Amino acid sequence: MNARYFARKISTLVVTLFLTVSFNFLLFHVLPGSPVQLLARSGHYDAAAKASLTKLFGLNHGLLTQYFVYLKNMVRGDLGFSYTFRKPVTTVLGAAVGNTVLLVGTATVITIFIGIWLGVKAASRANSLADTSITVTSLTLWSMPDFFTGMILIFVAGVWTHVLPISGIETPGLSVGWLGHFYDVAKHLALPALTLMLVNAAEFSLITRNSMVDVMVDDYMVTARAKGLAKRVIVWRHALRNALLPIVTATALYVGMVLGGAIQVETVFSWPGMGLLIYNSVEQRDYPVLEGCFLLFAIAVIATNFISDILYQVLDARVRKN
Amino acid sequence: MNKKVEALQARGISRRQFLAIGAASAGAVGIAALSGPVQSAGATTSSAQRILRVGWTTPPDLLNPFTFTSSASFEIVSLMYDTLLEYDVNLKSSAGLAQSHTVSADGKTFTYKLRPNATWHDGKPVTAADVKFTFDTTAKNNLGQAAWSLGEYLSSRVVDTHTVAITYKKPQAFDPALAVFIVPQHIWGSMSSSQIQSNTNPKPVGSGPYRFKKWATGQYVQVVRNAGWWGVAPHAAGIIWNEFANADVMTQSLASGSVDILTEVPAVLWNGLKSKPGVKAAEMQSFSFHHIGFNVSKAKTSKGNPLLLDKTVRQALSYSLNRAQLVALALAGHGQPGSVQLPPSFGDWQEKIPRNQQFDNNPAKAKKMLAKAGYKLGSNGIRVDKHGKPLHFRLIVIQTTDEDVLAGQIFVKAAKAVGISLTLETLDSTTLGNIVYNSAAPDWDIFIWGWDANNPDPDYLLSIDLTSQIGGNNDVFYSNPAYDALYAQQAVAMNRAERVNLVHQAQKMFYEDAAYCVMWYQSKLQAYRTDTWQGWKETRGGVVYNFTRSNYLTVKPK
Repeated sequence: MNARYFARKISTLVVTLFLTVSFNFLLFHVLPGSPVQLLARSGHYDAAAKASLTKLFGLNHGLLTQYFVYLKNMVRGDLGFSYTFRKPVTTVLGAAVGNTVLLVGTATVITIFIGIWLGVKAASRANSLADTSITVTSLTLWSMPDFFTGMILIFVAGVWTHVLPISGIETPGLSVGWLGHFYDVAKHLALPALTLMLVNAAEFSLITRNSMVDVMVDDYMVTARAKGLAKRVIVWRHALRNALLPIVTATALYVGMVLGGAIQVETVFSWPGMGLLIYNSVEQRDYPVLEGCFLLFAIAVIATNFISDILYQVLDARVRKN
Repeated sequence: MNKKVEALQARGISRRQFLAIGAASAGAVGIAALSGPVQSAGATTSSAQRILRVGWTTPPDLLNPFTFTSSASFEIVSLMYDTLLEYDVNLKSSAGLAQSHTVSADGKTFTYKLRPNATWHDGKPVTAADVKFTFDTTAKNNLGQAAWSLGEYLSSRVVDTHTVAITYKKPQAFDPALAVFIVPQHIWGSMSSSQIQSNTNPKPVGSGPYRFKKWATGQYVQVVRNAGWWGVAPHAAGIIWNEFANADVMTQSLASGSVDILTEVPAVLWNGLKSKPGVKAAEMQSFSFHHIGFNVSKAKTSKGNPLLLDKTVRQALSYSLNRAQLVALALAGHGQPGSVQLPPSFGDWQEKIPRNQQFDNNPAKAKKMLAKAGYKLGSNGIRVDKHGKPLHFRLIVIQTTDEDVLAGQIFVKAAKAVGISLTLETLDSTTLGNIVYNSAAPDWDIFIWGWDANNPDPDYLLSIDLTSQIGGNNDVFYSNPAYDALYAQQAVAMNRAERVNLVHQAQKMFYEDAAYCVMWYQSKLQAYRTDTWQGWKETRGGVVYNFTRSNYLTVKPK
């Protein structure tokens, strides 16, 4: 890994980011639909009130001017202000990102570990009953839409048994201490996180299993066994490390999508995260918020891909040599 | 041991640590899952401290009384702020922040006597200067919803600390005092127009029965009872409006008792609630209608099909529709067939067109009219005009409004039966809005959409299709000087009977011109628990989410 390699990677990053930002701006602004029109209609605004709103949003300028103002402000860390909430986009995004990271982050970490563990178990007992059950269950869960799994959980845990809250991130108006609040949020987190885990753990277990099955029959595995190493060591130290590449790729892609969230799961469980925010912002043509969201996604995807490139180098000697 | 193995071991350990952390997190969620029943704020507290919990799927946008646009915000703002006059539970004008008022003989000057004990939430007294400031600021800067009612505003005069006289250029049949939320001058007075418009108003200070407590964006808004309010203290110690992203889950939450009332319930879910114990599913008249709009723009730049400028074609299309069937199919029966642009909830303001004179469910008549006007049936079953141009129109509908899409499909069939061909296209609401409202060069023929009144006075709905509203609300570019004149007359008619008569004439004229084909007046479907609060009064427009805040103030814990 040398300086030139890094410089090349970083400049690619910057160009990609600039193109994404410009494309985002164009995409939202050429969409038919002025954000003021519907606000004015549903808000019973008259023409003068509408004109004053257009001016406030800066929509009275030409597209090119709006674009340069947007770029100029972004360099200063100002992503504009939300048409809907009249707050800085950074504030609106901040709350939503936090909630999404809590939900999807928790679910992802657990998903990856459970997925890999199940995949390893299945591969180490390839073609056994355990392998078949894990694979079939994984396939079944993976092929279910997550909102559907969510609805089933809502009926089981929320409607029939009433053991868990089915909506929101906290109990509205509940005033309890710090610990009580933590407990309250954990309870609200349980069902949506479980939904994401059930659906997505399958992805990791299947990839791990298939990758592991390939590795397990390689010559050096026979050597390791012949050396008398314990099976646990063979599987977890030797096989898994060599089977990790496709898993790292999948993880990078998956984590890049984490912020994009889980629009459906957030909608089913009324979880106030990025997914819900995007949905509502598209409806209301809240361009600045949408641009902010997509900028974050771009950064997340680009960053995770960058990290996985680096990880390849660490994991695989062949990549290092090239 | 070489470096590689060391590194491997190091990673091996950290991997194990990660596994341990992962397992711990899973365990934490698991423990949470095994925990006891769902807690619910307000359910266990004494009746004096009980909180009223409202469920909705419509998020509020802003809590700034000058700038909000959503109905949800109106609901919350109207409990934190007062208007000089307000609607009682029967939607009649009654005393608000002003305990009494008089109107000058010419109908142009309204003098309001404020309640001497009224204070702002920060303890300062409410004075006539606050009222003058609010009216001046709203009118001068064209701020928000109330600006609509202050088109003829001239000036306000502070008579004494608790008396204010407001003067208009013309008599005001609708008193804007019912629409303008009074704000404290000591908070807003130093702001410029753009500062007011970009102010999020994070801690609203009003004079209303509830004060602001918390807004967790995307989750809920909470207000608490204002002990210093001038009126009879409400029973609910606080109100929480809980936001749901999903109507199924919201309905389940009512059934399981974690909310007390829902502002709007989709018809299918509402039907399911009818049999639930402890729940009352209420159906009331709404102040809304859905209509088919025809592009009748006479502008040279209009790209609408000019054949729609012929009233006969529009009336024939209206005749082709069976509105009773539309209500039965598209609304599952929860509404009434439409005619004029004022829904029946307006009571005697609505012009009642006799059944046999309505343009409804008479395809035979439609065919006869078209034939008589020279639209001959072509070989493909589509009529053509004298120049051979077919009666073919584009129909656009909002894709997420299921009932409109269904109505559109029914309309296509009905029109076909009388020899008119329609092509249906579905769009998202903003796109449709911008196509329809492109007043410079409207490029569309027919749309399906709806209107909600902004208060129980007929003025607003009648004002939509004025010539002066082209470029504003007028969604069909209807322009009729006779209609404009009738509207202007009713707006200044201080005698109610005289005004009712003018309002009737205006509706009749607009109906005859058939630029709108009002399909239905949908019901307001709500639901509330009967075992948590009592005394909900069902009224036209809804128990809550209406122009009156009365139910919030009078409902009692059970």
